Amino acid sequence: MNLISGIDVTAGALNAHKTRLDVVAQNIANAQTTRGPNGTAYQRQIVSFESELLRRSVGGGLPLQSVRVAAISTDRTPGQQVHNPQHPDAGPDGTVTMPNVNLSYEMVDLITASRAYEANLSVVKNAREMALKSLQIGK
Amino acid sequence: MAPALLIRRRMIDPIFQTDNYQLARKLLDAAVLRHEAIATNVANAETPGFRRLDLSPDFATQLKSRIAAGNFAQTADSIRPQLSEDQTARSIRPDGNTVEIERELLMMNRNVVEHEFLSEIVSRNIKQLKLAITGRAM
Amino acid sequence: MNPIGSINVLQGSPLQRTDAPLPKIGLPQATPNISAPSEGFGTMLDGLVGTVESKQAAAQAATRRVLLGDSDQLHQSVIAMQEASVAFTMMVEVRNKLVESYQELMRMQV
Repeated sequence: MNLISGIDVTAGALNAHKTRLDVVAQNIANAQTTRGPNGTAYQRQIVSFESELLRRSVGGGLPLQSVRVAAISTDRTPGQQVHNPQHPDAGPDGTVTMPNVNLSYEMVDLITASRAYEANLSVVKNAREMALKSLQIGK
Repeated sequence: MAPALLIRRRMIDPIFQTDNYQLARKLLDAAVLRHEAIATNVANAETPGFRRLDLSPDFATQLKSRIAAGNFAQTADSIRPQLSEDQTARSIRPDGNTVEIERELLMMNRNVVEHEFLSEIVSRNIKQLKLAITGRAM
Repeated sequence: MNPIGSINVLQGSPLQRTDAPLPKIGLPQATPNISAPSEGFGTMLDGLVGTVESKQAAAQAATRRVLLGDSDQLHQSVIAMQEASVAFTMMVEVRNKLVESYQELMRMQV
């Protein structure tokens, strides 16, 4: 039963943006992690989206597309080398490899992803209001 | 059978066949469909090359010509609203995506109010008929 | 005093006798409804039943499409159900009025 119009399209986008938010939050949390489970510094992760064709629209048959997460990949760019001999993870030459997380980029990503998520959320809220109003016809 | 058909057409259907009532029903279809277009546009706000969708302009022109011709109530079923790519949208991004989130959200707000207005028209017609029949506001 | 007698004085006048048959006026043939009221209301009730059936069938079809997920036109289903309910109410009210008038007729002292 598809009672709220466009809900499958909006749900796909909400899921995708939520995943992106989660990954950005993880990047920010690990901005200073110099030793991860595999022994090396944390490498930031990137979410890539892809279009998915959902169905045809009612009446016209125009195909509707939404977005979904294609892959969560690791950014292989090597992180900055900082000279800090006192650091527990410093190498023999006294440098520490920092995670390749740039906080300004991540903050911008966070804001963009939040706004996109909120926009889709308001779309589905309004769709629900329209459906509820339809139920009140004639009452 | 023929007299019964005539009487039926004279009884209930003329009330439900008025132009305003049928027009409101058709426009309700269009409002729900337009929301689907807006939902798709907002979901694809960052998809490269995506062109925004909206109601086909020929739906409005067809409606107007049928109303002017005066035979709207009988032929209402043949006009159906459809979605198509909005040809008038300009691309403000280098990748050809024509969706502007703020415009979409504003249009969505307007669409919701339009939907409420149309629901109110339909509702009022039905309630008026009920009042006329039973003498009580059911 | 015979009130009728005073009218008989006018017998010889150019005025027509009151008991002379009236000339035939061409009445329109729409009067059959008035001459046989039960017949007119009977066909009206038949027509209403037909309307109610068709409207309820439309409402059921629209609702089934929504329930099965074939369409998301929730508002059309609601409107169809309301129209069917209005048609049904109209039929019920016509029936009530018919029964009331019949009972009224039966109560009349002949």
